Amino acid sequence: MNKHFVLIKDTGPGAEATGEFYTAFVTRLREANLETSVQAVRAADIGVYGRGIAVRILPGGPLYVNVRAEDIDRIIAQTLKNNVVLKDLVPGEETGQMRIVLRNCGVIDPESIEDYFSVEGYQGLGKCLFEHSPEKVIEEVKKSGLRGRGGGGYPTHLKWALARKAFGEEKFVICNGDEGDPGAYMDRSILESDPHAVVEGMVITAYAVGAHTGIFYIRAEYPLAIKRIQRAIDQAREHNLLGADILGSGFSFDCEIRLGAGAFVCGEETALIASVEGRRGTPRPRPPYPSDSGLWGMPSVINNVETMANLPVIMRRGGEWLARIGTAKSKGTKVFALTGNVRNSGLVEIPMGTTLRAIVEGIGGGSAGGKPIKAVQTGGPSGGIIPVDRLDTPVSYEHLQELGSIMGSGGMIVLTEEDCIVDIAKFYLGFCVDESCGKCAPCRIGGWQMLRLLEKIAGGEGEEQDLEKVRRLAQAMQKASLCGLGQSAPNPVLSTLKYFAGEYREHVVEKKCRAGKCLGLVRFVILPEVCKRCKLCVGNCPVNAISGDRQSGFVIDQAKCIKCGKCFEVCKFGAVARR
Amino acid sequence: MAKLTRESLKALSGQNSLPCCSFIKVGMSSCGVAAGARVVYDFLKQEVEKRFPHIAVRQCGCNGLCHAEPLVEVCVPGVPAVIYGQVTKEIAQRIVAEHLGEGRLINDHIYVMAVRDGGEK
Repeated sequence: MNKHFVLIKDTGPGAEATGEFYTAFVTRLREANLETSVQAVRAADIGVYGRGIAVRILPGGPLYVNVRAEDIDRIIAQTLKNNVVLKDLVPGEETGQMRIVLRNCGVIDPESIEDYFSVEGYQGLGKCLFEHSPEKVIEEVKKSGLRGRGGGGYPTHLKWALARKAFGEEKFVICNGDEGDPGAYMDRSILESDPHAVVEGMVITAYAVGAHTGIFYIRAEYPLAIKRIQRAIDQAREHNLLGADILGSGFSFDCEIRLGAGAFVCGEETALIASVEGRRGTPRPRPPYPSDSGLWGMPSVINNVETMANLPVIMRRGGEWLARIGTAKSKGTKVFALTGNVRNSGLVEIPMGTTLRAIVEGIGGGSAGGKPIKAVQTGGPSGGIIPVDRLDTPVSYEHLQELGSIMGSGGMIVLTEEDCIVDIAKFYLGFCVDESCGKCAPCRIGGWQMLRLLEKIAGGEGEEQDLEKVRRLAQAMQKASLCGLGQSAPNPVLSTLKYFAGEYREHVVEKKCRAGKCLGLVRFVILPEVCKRCKLCVGNCPVNAISGDRQSGFVIDQAKCIKCGKCFEVCKFGAVARR
Repeated sequence: MAKLTRESLKALSGQNSLPCCSFIKVGMSSCGVAAGARVVYDFLKQEVEKRFPHIAVRQCGCNGLCHAEPLVEVCVPGVPAVIYGQVTKEIAQRIVAEHLGEGRLINDHIYVMAVRDGGEK
């Protein structure tokens, strides 16, 4: 009999009972004389959450959830000894991720083209070059329903068809690897973990639109991604997958890397083109769209890294295969970088139509400290905040837009009761103010004025009419800004105003910040009945604002206090309160 | 290597250069390296080559379990393939001694990622 392994993990909230259950299981195994053929193991994470004790039998055995101590004997007697699956312990619905874009991430060695060949690498390209006309490639992508994964969700095949039809001496393909949203790093991970998939996607795009030169626009902050893409390009050239007469098909294409200096606006396609041309990265009005007049005035197609990484699979398995996954209008999968106050931060790839709740609770495992989740932020500084009561919304371009957010490039930040909504809105707006290129007035001035109003509110100086002012500024910015950055910068503010109006009013009317994040509204006080008079806070206060002695107790001088929160952090007894 | 043609590319399809039965993979993307994967990789490379020369120690990209970096996937005959997370040099030593040496899994460091059918993997 082959050795079996039983992974055990308590996935429920509250006290961790993995250890107890593990001990009980080990005891029962010993009693059943199975010590040598079965090993019980405490797992750190078992892939499901909130389902009580979970047990996974390896190799290849079932997953059981909500297992009780009484079930141990049944598991040993039936599953371990006789390979019978206990149906009542198997979870009902399917959970987990679906990996298409991240198919090779963590599987292959990104610096080895042989590894990529062994996972059917470049087979999609081979099929595309020898079996399909460029029109047929576009047709296949149309069938797949693939839409731009960079945020806008523009159908990829339309972009390609326009560039294919456009007249130009030369055409260009650009891979947009300028990922700047705070908390988003899917593109970096794909570039670092599966660079050949992106290179293959580039060649497929080039063949479809008739381009012979490609450019990887990657930000300089991603040195490892740059190194691995460069290596992938070199290897592809050696193997006749880039350069003249690729695979003997007669089609020629080569690409190079351009480094972005890290301006957020350069993720916008016209600003990106300006940056590649060596000019200052500022957007210009569209039309003409880059598919007519892009890099050096020639027809250009700009696709996001994740879009590119989808293409080899579409070519290999056909557009219809991808179209079977997802919702009516949003096909395939989407990668999200799940961060913020969540237990399992990381990259998740889910089919479109999965609910936000399934992502945050089912894959992310809920909030980090078990605190109630308040909202989820998607789409970075251009996106919006989705309150917890809308978490059952399926993820798709349309559904998120309805809620005033966007899919964006895929940042997903989980917020709990510990996060202040005004503070979050201020953070995102501050980011856009810093990143505004300054070319158009609505964005340059509007953003700054709006930020000042939010700072006023957070500082406790807010007046009722300020909220209306913020709203009007936001609407003006949305309508009048030149590019996507300015048009979408007010989204975090507008969506929070819509869903968390009460919390804004608390800041303005009651001068209260319930999360204790807005320092202008917070006071630190020492609770005399809890204080053990250890003087730790006194020694740690950088401005000597705490006075008193061991007999009479200590007080914080509010006039001196700079609200750094040091006393709150160091107090071991919870005697410093934030009010 | 010779230049690929349509035929030689086709012939590569289905060929597996990945060692299928005995390997250790260390996640070496930015996130993994930042969490200390380099130390773990160097240690495993040296130690495993010395004691278990038939087991290949390789690097790979990031599989997305960022909260559990550095990640080490171990696949050897007789023991199901698992991913260890938050691996330090000490845990790496235990992987060599207990997982490779005795065929036992190590408590408290295994991370299972639930992936459903229908994708590429």
